[in-house]
Amino acid sequence: MKKIKIFQTLIIGLLLATVVSCTKKTASNESVLNLAVSSKVKGMDPIYSNDRYSSNEVARVYEGLLEYHYLKRPYTLKPNLADGMPTVSADGLTYTFQIKKGVMFHDDAAFTNGKGRELVAEDFVYSIKRLADPKLQGLGYWLLDGKIIGLDEWRAKYAELPKADYTDEVAGLKATGKYTLQFKLKKSFPQFLYSLAMPFTFAVAKEVVEKYGEEFLNHPVGTGPFLLPRFEQSNKITYTKNKAFREKKYPCDGSPELKAQGYMADCGKILPLTDKIVVNIIVESQPRWLNFQKGKVEYISVPKDNFEAAIPDAKNLDPKFVEKGVRLSVTPSLDVTYTAYNHDKKLFNNVKLRQAMSLAYNVEESNKLFYNNTAMPAQSVVPPGIAGHIPNYKNPYRGSGTPANIEAAKKLLAEAGYPNGEGLPEISYDCPSSTTSRQTGEFFKKQMAQIGIKINVITNPWPELQKKITNRNVDLYGIAWGADYPDAENFLQLLYGPNRSPGANGSGYNNPEFNKLFASSATMQDSPERTALYEKMYRIAAEEMPWIYGVHRQSYTVVNGWLKNYMSTDFEAGQGSYLRIDLDQKKKLLEKF
Amino acid sequence: MSETKTQKSKSLWQHAFSELTRDKLAMLCLTVVIVYAISAIASALGFIGADWAKEVGPSYAPPSGDHIFGLDIFGRSVFDKMVKGTEVAMSIGLVTALISMVIGVTLGATAGYFGGKIDEFIVWFYTTFTSIPYIMLLVAITFILGKGLVAIYLALGLTSWVGLCRLIRGEVIRHKDREYVHAAAAIGGGDFRKLFLHILPNVLHIVIINFSLQFQTAIKAEVILSFLGLGVQGRPSWGTMIDDAKLELARGVWWQLAAATLAMWIVVLSLNILGDALRDALDPKLKGK
Amino acid sequence: MNIWAYIIRRLLYVIPVLLGVCLIIFVLFNLVSPDPTLIMLGKHASVSQMEDLRRELGLDRPWFLQYLDVVKSAFTFDFGRSWSTKQEIIEMIKAGAIPSLTLSIPAFVISTFLSISISLFVAFFRGTILDRTIVFLCVTMMSISSLAYILFGQWFFAFKLGLFEISGYEFGFPYFIPYVILPVLIWVMLGIGPDVRFYRTIILDEIYQDYVRTARAKGLSENKIMFKHVLKNAMIPIITYVIIQIPFLILGALLLETFFSIPGLGGIVLSAINSSDFPVVKAMTILISVAYIIFSVLTDVMYTLVDPRVRLK
Repeated sequence: MKKIKIFQTLIIGLLLATVVSCTKKTASNESVLNLAVSSKVKGMDPIYSNDRYSSNEVARVYEGLLEYHYLKRPYTLKPNLADGMPTVSADGLTYTFQIKKGVMFHDDAAFTNGKGRELVAEDFVYSIKRLADPKLQGLGYWLLDGKIIGLDEWRAKYAELPKADYTDEVAGLKATGKYTLQFKLKKSFPQFLYSLAMPFTFAVAKEVVEKYGEEFLNHPVGTGPFLLPRFEQSNKITYTKNKAFREKKYPCDGSPELKAQGYMADCGKILPLTDKIVVNIIVESQPRWLNFQKGKVEYISVPKDNFEAAIPDAKNLDPKFVEKGVRLSVTPSLDVTYTAYNHDKKLFNNVKLRQAMSLAYNVEESNKLFYNNTAMPAQSVVPPGIAGHIPNYKNPYRGSGTPANIEAAKKLLAEAGYPNGEGLPEISYDCPSSTTSRQTGEFFKKQMAQIGIKINVITNPWPELQKKITNRNVDLYGIAWGADYPDAENFLQLLYGPNRSPGANGSGYNNPEFNKLFASSATMQDSPERTALYEKMYRIAAEEMPWIYGVHRQSYTVVNGWLKNYMSTDFEAGQGSYLRIDLDQKKKLLEKF
Repeated sequence: MSETKTQKSKSLWQHAFSELTRDKLAMLCLTVVIVYAISAIASALGFIGADWAKEVGPSYAPPSGDHIFGLDIFGRSVFDKMVKGTEVAMSIGLVTALISMVIGVTLGATAGYFGGKIDEFIVWFYTTFTSIPYIMLLVAITFILGKGLVAIYLALGLTSWVGLCRLIRGEVIRHKDREYVHAAAAIGGGDFRKLFLHILPNVLHIVIINFSLQFQTAIKAEVILSFLGLGVQGRPSWGTMIDDAKLELARGVWWQLAAATLAMWIVVLSLNILGDALRDALDPKLKGK
Repeated sequence: MNIWAYIIRRLLYVIPVLLGVCLIIFVLFNLVSPDPTLIMLGKHASVSQMEDLRRELGLDRPWFLQYLDVVKSAFTFDFGRSWSTKQEIIEMIKAGAIPSLTLSIPAFVISTFLSISISLFVAFFRGTILDRTIVFLCVTMMSISSLAYILFGQWFFAFKLGLFEISGYEFGFPYFIPYVILPVLIWVMLGIGPDVRFYRTIILDEIYQDYVRTARAKGLSENKIMFKHVLKNAMIPIITYVIIQIPFLILGALLLETFFSIPGLGGIVLSAINSSDFPVVKAMTILISVAYIIFSVLTDVMYTLVDPRVRLK
């Protein structure tokens, strides 16, 4: 009996403690943006921010020369730390930027008297050299590799020496005045400006890097709208508003359709619009979904297996969500999923075999099973929404499981020299080891079995898969590509022969005609001529079937009613400062939860 | 002398056998295990569960008269997958328990019998081995061996022999100075003869009990490996079925988890009860309770 | 041999075991593990970059120097930096240990206390229907996947009933409490099955010893036998088992931590496994092994001092 009593007291005590500590809440008049992200954040060093989770976090504290206009679609660049867009020389090789005056770094012990100093052009020279520093192995150097005069030479020189010397000048990267920055390119590189909107090239301060050394990634000191005194690898990152942030305003111009949707209500307000951002790292989808339903996070993308519960008819939200003021935001993503052939294997040089396999693959069914029918079957490599995609193009080798498709696939397979799969070895299919990837692999295996091709599915941890691809140790592999910037070049380069592994072209596809077209388009500015070349490549990539195309995904995000100005985008970095919480509405809506 | 010994040991086994057959529950459990074993063999030979990969209805159809455990994401019968999974589970249990038995008995008996430097080395080896967390060892070994059933057998087998090895070593040390062993030496038995013919039969009960426990531990470990993405590839297993459930439960699809859990529960329960009964029947320490 | 000589010998034995652990870890992670450079460089890696990095990491040096590094790290706890997060590993471990321990210690204490009580109770009624029922329940609880407990517990108790936080963690006492109650309860549920079975076996082993029969023959009451003799003697293996589990508590729980977003070591290990972040996996392995060795030596020494007979075994 006594034991039971002790136990009872223990439980009651614990429950009481719950109640007591639950009352410890933040002041209700503070506007806090609660976000949920599904993956660990690696650190806060811009040069290592190669995944979207890390780059989103980096961009809350750091800023770059340019950014994407918040309210313009298609994606358009606009100056951020630059004072206006750069002047470009007649040959298109010299870019001159003026830097905004009076932009201050956050206060930090690294600066004299602990006060943040003013940002100057020299900071960008330093930050970009840092990205190129061979000792640091920054993950974004591919962006500028072979592009800026003298930078590759600088990098090569210090790879052999113990330490890189930042005072050693690079001809193509110079501060010509206190606020003037000049880039000189080796050859025309129309995507150059996009790279200046990516967190890799954001401005860091030399003093801070030198003070903290290897610990720099835990001491983010930028010029951005939010402060994070110390980054800790935890389940929660809390940013506070940078009170000394320069006067940056919510835009008053933008695409008419966004204006119509009420995105311009906050026109002219001083950013950021919230006092605090709390980023919760919730890896599993059940707790993320439950937390959203409790109103603990402002928005999340609908987990695949909760889709039916949330959006029963695949279009509209379930009434029980609508009642709570939740809205649905649907945006196509700039991405493509695909199954690549390893073109180093002689077997896959057989175009007919590739076409047959693609025809046998039922993309409609995969869309239904894995994307709740929300994705768009990909016809070729470039997703819709950017120049180079041909809207109504139908790939002739795209299967949707009809008997006619299967017949055609069998015929092609026979023409390829393998009637009913006879004479084909067992083909391996490598994919990541998550549950969904494994199921995708099983699905693929089943599809190929229809025409007599035997597939062996192998799941791998992500790094292992990358290693196999780089070492050409695969037959087929299932993977996806998300845009680094909104230009078809970022997708077409995946099939450019000279980019073969360990470059971005993991499949090793090498077609001289395609390569020639790509090389000539690579130095062209955005123009109808370039789009024509892109479309030509799009068609080649469709007919040649270097990969079996999957889908272009769409993001389905549910957003709580009190969050204003949110829209899902492919380039989320820096979005946080535009979002606003309507506290009164939140209070009212939460009563319904 | 050695003759009387065999007789005595025979009577121990006979006694145990009669005790075991009297325990109805244990017999029932034995039957269950045998049924599982037969279905595993039948599925390996393709008599049952061969059609597991066939699409028999719509995706995620709930349990019904036609498909008592419903259908999975691709419209495959969960019941067939469960049956096919028995093959994987039973083979993992058997092979793993065999591997750990062979290593455990060999090292344990060698250490106990020969003593001295050999003993010291083996004791050092397994002390070292147990100091490393089991799960880390498991992960490391599967990483190195790659994916597949063989890797799972080895990973689980190589990480589970220490307990048995320790027990056998202790028993062999106890037995080797007994009269009957000395007698065997006197009539000219070599080391191996002594070890295998005279000492090992007397520690066999430990091996059997351990085997039944190892068997069920291995079946459960397969589930953990599947969580970590290191499970069986290209064929259904209870572990991958439960792993699927992680996502499916969100849409109310509980039948895959239920089927795999049920199948596993019955065999694990049976092996446990059987193990206990074997222990009661075979362990001389418990004699005459 | 006197006690002190034994203790010193036992302490010295730590050295070969530690060297052995380092050797196994070195073989597993350095000799046969995959090339780290790709993991670190990501999707745009180039061959020359990979070679540079291999040199920076010292992977081109002879194997015995690399083995020495492993041994050194077991003493200095200087494990270098993580490949994927570039954080100092010992700092990651320090930060993750607190949440893990706030989860694992209460869970361990409660489940050990409960399972020992239950198994004593069961042993007292051994062979009866009650005993069989409880064994049956234990095995049933063991066969249900931990995932089912977690998903159901989180959905039902935290979401539907709103009794606990769904997920998350807050540092500092008492703020962490509401976040760990549910995971602790689930842990207890998960642990009780195997523990009760284990302790029951140990206690039964004692009950069947000769001295118990003697005591019974002497006419001592069953209660007295259970608590005075059996429990006292069974305590040695039980305490050994309990103490030996302590080093593993630091690992927390892989699945519980992920589902409840507790920033502990379990989650760190899980993501290290998923990203092939070998230095982290290696560091955790070394750390726990060292703790295990120390704890097992301590228990041995403690028993030798308390009860010199143990030494003779």
